[in-house]
Amino acid sequence: MEGPASETLLLPEITQVGLDLPVEVRVHGAFERPLTVTVRQARLLQDAPWTRSLGKLTLEVSTEGWKFPAPPVENAPGEAPPAQPRLFRPDAEPVPEPMDDTERRTTRLRPPRDAVLFKDRLLYLLQPPLENLFSGKQINVPFKPFPYQLEGIAFLMPRHAALLADEMGLGKTAQTILALRLLFHSGILQRALLVCPKPLVNNWARELRLWAEDVPFEIITGNYEARRASWMVSNCPLKLVNYELLTRDASFVEEEQVRFDVVVLDEAQRIKNRDSKTAQVVRSIKRDRSWALTGTPIENRPEDLINIFSFVDPARIPPDTSTKQLGELTREYILRRVKEQVMTDMPPKIIRDAFLELSPAQREAYEMAEKEGVVRLNEMGDTITVQHVFELVMRLKQICNFDPYTGQSAKLEQLVADMNEVAESGRKAIVFSQWVEPLEIIAQALRHLGPLQFHGKIPPRERYAVLDQFREDPTKHVILMSYATGSVGLNLQFTNYVFLFDRWWNPAIEDQAINRAHRLGQKETVIVTRFVAQGTIEGRIAEVLEQKRQLFNELIANNGTPPPMGMTQEEIFGLFNIRSRPRRAA
Amino acid sequence: MSQASILHVGFLTVFQEANGFVGGYLVTNNWGRPLEFRLSSAVQPNRVQQILYADTLRPYLCADLIGKTLVDKTSIPPHLLVTDTDAVLELRLKVDVPVLWLVPADDPRAATLASEPHCVRPGTEKRGPLVCHPRYLQDVESLAEILPGLQGVMDLAEPFARIREAIGEARKTGVGQKAA
Repeated sequence: MEGPASETLLLPEITQVGLDLPVEVRVHGAFERPLTVTVRQARLLQDAPWTRSLGKLTLEVSTEGWKFPAPPVENAPGEAPPAQPRLFRPDAEPVPEPMDDTERRTTRLRPPRDAVLFKDRLLYLLQPPLENLFSGKQINVPFKPFPYQLEGIAFLMPRHAALLADEMGLGKTAQTILALRLLFHSGILQRALLVCPKPLVNNWARELRLWAEDVPFEIITGNYEARRASWMVSNCPLKLVNYELLTRDASFVEEEQVRFDVVVLDEAQRIKNRDSKTAQVVRSIKRDRSWALTGTPIENRPEDLINIFSFVDPARIPPDTSTKQLGELTREYILRRVKEQVMTDMPPKIIRDAFLELSPAQREAYEMAEKEGVVRLNEMGDTITVQHVFELVMRLKQICNFDPYTGQSAKLEQLVADMNEVAESGRKAIVFSQWVEPLEIIAQALRHLGPLQFHGKIPPRERYAVLDQFREDPTKHVILMSYATGSVGLNLQFTNYVFLFDRWWNPAIEDQAINRAHRLGQKETVIVTRFVAQGTIEGRIAEVLEQKRQLFNELIANNGTPPPMGMTQEEIFGLFNIRSRPRRAA
Repeated sequence: MSQASILHVGFLTVFQEANGFVGGYLVTNNWGRPLEFRLSSAVQPNRVQQILYADTLRPYLCADLIGKTLVDKTSIPPHLLVTDTDAVLELRLKVDVPVLWLVPADDPRAATLASEPHCVRPGTEKRGPLVCHPRYLQDVESLAEILPGLQGVMDLAEPFARIREAIGEARKTGVGQKAA
């Protein structure tokens, strides 16, 4: 070790320091409080543990259901319906692409307001869109119905009371048949009765075969026993009868077992006379549904519509209903479309009035007849009746057609010239007259064109052969028709010209006549020529008819108060300068 | 045509609205004509049920509860069930007929589903694919036999519009309130 052994160990000097720190002793307050003893009761874990119920954990549901009439095919195992969707077979043709209707128009049935039962409403709401049914696989139809026709079918199907009042030529027949067919298919209908004018029975039969090939029908005809069997025994689902036979068979109709799910009246204006036997028998038919078809629901006055509704829905229009209320009460039950509304692509109808100067002989005869006639009417004083005026009108109109002494006719000359032109162009024409006699004279004048005739003198069994010949024979260019026989129900849309040799009293009847040609299926313009002898009663009547036509349009369009359609007594008397007036009833 | 070839198609939809889940079921023939219709009461799961059932709630409600009840209570047995509701597809586990789901075209799963083996028919521009239940691949074959017979005759998506309208009518008229 270096150093320490030789060096003196130096110890640090220690100095004592007195601290003298004061110390105080205190007692803490907490220790001065007296101690207390408390007793608390503690529950032993003898009870069940505490829990909270979460309520019912299971979920429940209730349901309500409705079953609908089964379509006949569902009820008939083993029977083959005409068109059913095929099941896939490996060797079958390639399947087309699936239906994609995301942008397709659909026409659905809507339950009417008076369908109260939910099940009834549901039945119609749940029907498939009509477009699906007519898409080509489910229901065979000669051609697809137009959209407005589908709307017509959708209007008819759910309704127990309906008046289809489409303008002539829009296919009321097809719409009705298809509505019936679909209701039969749905199992909603089992028995239907179609009533139509006698001349239209064959037309309906043809249309039924065309539009409802799978709906069997029978025509009620024949002797008493045959008709009795048809009414009372036959189970045929669809029966067709004409008004005349129906009226004759009123006793069968009264029988309890004679009931129908639907009764359809074609040309329902036939019951516009409420008290007629026909109207009474029609109303007496026991039925669930009442459909009426007419292009002229109001031929003369609003009462025509009221009387049609006495069949369609007897309780719908109370007695003493004002014409103002009529539209409101019936709107839900009437569907009326005119060609301009629904067939924008239909060729136009051109109506031209040919004002012709009477031949000198005609003029002389006419002036004399009118002068004498007016004098005679004036001499009648208050014994005069409308009938007397009518007789004079008829006499004068006949002179406007032909001079009674010489047979001269300004109209015939014009018609022959026009018809030659029509024939040369290879077209076809219809000539209408109020009487048969002028048609026979016209037939003589046009014999070089081989005219066909369709009027009251042609036996009914021959009439359809006449129509077929007119349709199919290219050498037949003209058919001569009376308004009474040819103005309703015939389809002559292959005709491009219509001549009204004389005018009918009612514009609705004239329209019906014109619409034999201007109807569904017409592809070209229809030219209508109305012959009017200038400066005669025809001109005056034409004015009144034109006013009536305008009034009719106003009424059907529900614009304002429906005006009367028929010529009033004052209007008829106003055709001549006569002072006499009928005696008023006391 | 024999009775055997008449096809009854059941269209089943379940949708959720303010009152809960509501189901509608329409049985038609192969022309789409209505034969029977049934609707369910509204089922409203409470909060606890929602928590407890969790992801299985919707399939349970749509398929097991509402779907199965509607099918069972309807008297006409279907040959095929068609639905526009994905959760109803699970009903296949409870019934013996194929269940076909019409996948909406705008469904994000549409493209994937179209390439799955349980896809019966791929979608088009406007329609999504048709798929059956993935555990029942044999349905693809049986549906391939049934569906061509309906093509061009019936639009499989269309009856759902009718069902919704009927349910709306039930509410409007106050009829069927016990159920709907």
